[in-house]
Amino acid sequence: MLSSVPTRRRTRALTALLAAALLPASACAVANSDGAGDAGAADGSTLRIVLAQEPPTLEPCESSLTSTGVVVRSNISEPLIERDPTTGELDPLLATGWRQTSPTTWTFDIRSGVRFHSGAPFTAEDAAFSIDRAVNSDLACNVDGYVFEDEKLGVEATSPTSLTVTTVEPDPILPLRLSFVEIVPRGTSTEAKVREPVGTGPYAIAGWQTGVSITLHRNENYWGEQPAFPVVRYVWRSESSVRAAMIAKGEADLSTGLDPEDATEENSIAYPNNETTALRLDGTQAPLDDIRVRKAIGLVIDRQAIARTLFDGLGEPAAQLVPDGVVGYNPALQAQAPDHEAARALIEQARADGVPLDREITLVARNDQFPRVAETAEALQYQLAQLGLNVRILMTDTAAHLQYQLRPFPENVGPVALLIMHGNQAGDAAFTTSQYLVSDGPQSTFGTPELDARIDDAERLSGQARQDAFAAVLADQNETVAQYAYLAHMRGLLGIGDSVEYEPNPATGDELRLAAVRPAKGQGR
Amino acid sequence: MTATLERPDGTVAAPKRPPRWWLLLGKDKMAAVAAVVLGLVLLTALAGPLLLGDAATRQDLDASLRPPSFDHGITGLLGTDILGRSVLARLVEAAGTTLSVAMPAVLFSLVVGSAIGMWAGYHGGRRENIAMRVADVILSFPSLLLAVVVLYVFTPSVANIVFILALARIPIYLRTARAEAAELKSRLFVDAARTFGTASWPTIYRHILPIAMPTLLTVATLDFCFVMLSESSLSFLGIGIQPPDVSWGLMVAQGRQFLQTAWWIAVLPGVAIVLTTVSATILAAWVRLATDPAQRWRLTLPTSKRGKRRVTTEVTA
Amino acid sequence: MTTFLRKRIVSSAIPLVVVVLGVFILARLTGNPVDLYLPLSATAEQRAAFSAEHGFDQPILVQLWDYLGQVVQLDFGESLRTGQPAAEMVLEAFPATLQLAAVTMLIAIVGAVLIGSLAAYRPNSLADRTSSFLSMTAASIPDFWFAIMGVLVFGVSLGILPTSGVTGGPEVWVLPIATLLIRPFGVLVQVVRGSMVAALSAPYVKVARGKGASEKRVVFGHALRNATMPVLTVAGDLTIGLVNGAVVVETIFGWPGIGKLMIDSILQRDFAVLQAAVLLTAVTIFLLNILIDVCYALLDARVRQAVPA
Repeated sequence: MLSSVPTRRRTRALTALLAAALLPASACAVANSDGAGDAGAADGSTLRIVLAQEPPTLEPCESSLTSTGVVVRSNISEPLIERDPTTGELDPLLATGWRQTSPTTWTFDIRSGVRFHSGAPFTAEDAAFSIDRAVNSDLACNVDGYVFEDEKLGVEATSPTSLTVTTVEPDPILPLRLSFVEIVPRGTSTEAKVREPVGTGPYAIAGWQTGVSITLHRNENYWGEQPAFPVVRYVWRSESSVRAAMIAKGEADLSTGLDPEDATEENSIAYPNNETTALRLDGTQAPLDDIRVRKAIGLVIDRQAIARTLFDGLGEPAAQLVPDGVVGYNPALQAQAPDHEAARALIEQARADGVPLDREITLVARNDQFPRVAETAEALQYQLAQLGLNVRILMTDTAAHLQYQLRPFPENVGPVALLIMHGNQAGDAAFTTSQYLVSDGPQSTFGTPELDARIDDAERLSGQARQDAFAAVLADQNETVAQYAYLAHMRGLLGIGDSVEYEPNPATGDELRLAAVRPAKGQGR
Repeated sequence: MTATLERPDGTVAAPKRPPRWWLLLGKDKMAAVAAVVLGLVLLTALAGPLLLGDAATRQDLDASLRPPSFDHGITGLLGTDILGRSVLARLVEAAGTTLSVAMPAVLFSLVVGSAIGMWAGYHGGRRENIAMRVADVILSFPSLLLAVVVLYVFTPSVANIVFILALARIPIYLRTARAEAAELKSRLFVDAARTFGTASWPTIYRHILPIAMPTLLTVATLDFCFVMLSESSLSFLGIGIQPPDVSWGLMVAQGRQFLQTAWWIAVLPGVAIVLTTVSATILAAWVRLATDPAQRWRLTLPTSKRGKRRVTTEVTA
Repeated sequence: MTTFLRKRIVSSAIPLVVVVLGVFILARLTGNPVDLYLPLSATAEQRAAFSAEHGFDQPILVQLWDYLGQVVQLDFGESLRTGQPAAEMVLEAFPATLQLAAVTMLIAIVGAVLIGSLAAYRPNSLADRTSSFLSMTAASIPDFWFAIMGVLVFGVSLGILPTSGVTGGPEVWVLPIATLLIRPFGVLVQVVRGSMVAALSAPYVKVARGKGASEKRVVFGHALRNATMPVLTVAGDLTIGLVNGAVVVETIFGWPGIGKLMIDSILQRDFAVLQAAVLLTAVTIFLLNILIDVCYALLDARVRQAVPA
């Protein structure tokens, strides 16, 4: 070391330099001091909601994405028609009535006296524009693909209060499909998606502090009944335990998606969220190309124990891809207890026929797909291993999971058992079959021509005939195709503080209607 | 380079003059305890899985989340996790995985980083410049994010995790070793060796390595802890060790959701990490003192009264 | 000094270019983001159109060339996720992390110097052993574990701190900083202690004592100054390592910083934002390294000659 004397002054200068470098950075804080937390004060006028993630955008045509839809749908913008999530009935919203005027034409009566947040009046022209924008434009909206499967629509405003929509093929559930199209005013960009849209809903966007919070203010000119809270503020925390802590501490009034271990009777309500979990077995790869192996997997999974333990009793063991309440649900299909002997017998038959049972199967699951997904994958691996199958777990992020989920599927990855969670938001099995069951469905690895034909027939039907036809399709898939080994119909947990009252419904995870949230009685708010 | 590896072990296992090292260790109670803890961890990692069989992977969904108790035999001693697996058996199983990630990663970065660093510092000039800029490049990537990206591109296997964690730490050794070598190369004894025509690697090995070693070893022990924690952070981000393999880091990450309801799942592996790294640090500090002739006398200071004179004379002799 | 600085800056510009290239190529290796951004049943034409719009259909070298051309004009592209300019998003998030890191390191360095010096003053004393043991423990606690325990204990059970967030008084800083602090603090205490033990037994300290300097002056004046170099090196590395901690802390506490932005843009394959964020981080680390080098040079004239041209 140097003699200490000559460096003394320099050390002081150094200290000053370091301090000078550090201090200005800390002087201007990101935190502004209103002493109330990100979600605002508990003053009774602000409804504070904590989400699991920040919405990537509030673009209405992306509202079939859960993280966007939960903020936008029926709060900021509204559709022509809304589906009652409990009964499945269609209710008028921005359209007051609708009828099928020819096999391929539907006519909608448009509500008058409605204004957008911007003050512009809402007319049939706006409705036509919005449908055109979401379905026929080059925006590649999620709603387009999810609800319309790229079917092109002819849209025309015949008068300010009347709209006709024509389809190429007869579409008995067109009004249901249109309940996913949120209405935006003419002039909204058709070139690019808009981050902060204008709508007709009971709330308007007041501010979006990126990374911190979104604030909505009540639309005082709303055409319908005024909601209870003048201000709503959304924040987001990715850890369920932190969201639960915010509810417990009174920093938030509502929280989406709590994990079972964070939930108590006081701070949460369980509700069926329309999601169904299952293993999708790739029927194009040995040994999964043998239906006996696929059926054996379905037989050996202990879905009762998984639902009881891993889902904390919040899941109901499943035997089909859609839950009760969806058109096409088959009440005759009930989950059975695991049958190890039958499963082993099937496996032995397959082995005798030379099926390569020791080939490694990749079980693909996504992080944060649902609470305890990693543990569920481990349980499945263990149970399949008991059958003598060689299973490897691959946990992925959303992007990689999508590669496995959607056509074209990755090649040279061997046999894949994909853990899927399917949510039928629309309430009709057609949305499931067209994606998951037909041979060339975007999320289906294989199928049979017979099943394809039955699905095609079912899609043209309506009423009870439609219900029966789809119920038969679901039973047929289990019997003759067995592409899926089901786990459970899931239930979600909504965190709720004692300052508000809200009754969750099956759509709460996708569409949290703020108008349905009220201050708790006796809170004096 | 083999001397690098032998040295820390050598001081503990004492191949040359056993009585002296053992006595010195016995004088320092904390170092002795640390050595015992580390020895136990190693023993567990090696022999444990043989004794426990498949207890670490055996699931029983009906025995989910049992608290630690004496009611369910040895495997139930520390409770069960959500899948009804024995936490004790998993801790034992995880010890092996954890060490087989942490030790290769630390050794790899230590050997490669020190070698390049000393070579660069000894030669100086353009070679030194290039080595330092490479270190700058690696350091400029946030290492956790680099790991996440790389493990998404290539699968998160143990080998890849070891490689990426080691790569991220190489610059630390490289810079430390370079600084030492740059300073030493102008010293008389190195100069002398060079003048007599000794080749560069023997000079580095004989004259620079022994002096740079204690510092590098200290950094390595601190890194041991860093690697275990990084591996845990990777599991937190969902990209670490993949089941059915299990590491302490993975156990902490998976158990964090049960902190309120089943503390034993996350707390026990956390304690295992803390105990191991603290023991390693204490022992490293001791090794550093014991191998430094100028500092060795400190070990003979009275932490207990008995025998201090004898050892003092023996060591300073 | 100016020559030294100029050389240092020029020679460090090359690593920055390598970082840009590296992150660009690594990001592309994680796959085409088309599936994340297009509807589940997007047609082949729509996919092709999306790829063409964002240039993903070009050979990677062409993409890289275009990107570099834009970067030279300070155009960092737009976020796929939000449609905002990437540079804007990154610059908006950066101060939040910088403040967190600056305050953390300030506390860590000051605290570690005080406690480390105290411990080194009497090696192997009770105070030394206690502080060493506690600092080692602190350095080996997983940060996310510490953060969640902090939320549960101080946020919920005791109710004295907010659980998370950035809006509020000084109290919102406590848990994030504490979480970020434990590791650098634990490591630095040990480093300070180690350097100080060596410094306090050095001849010049004995000389200073012999001249009758006060103990305070001996410890904080003479010994500490000579122990500064290793502490500075380690503190620099720890500051760089804070980005890792920031990822975890920002994820848990909902802190709108660059760590969370980076991990989100990896998960969302939002390449433009990832590239801009890594570049800004690299520039910061680069500046920090120069600052440390300058400190070195000021501390020890010999380094100036030893640093390669």
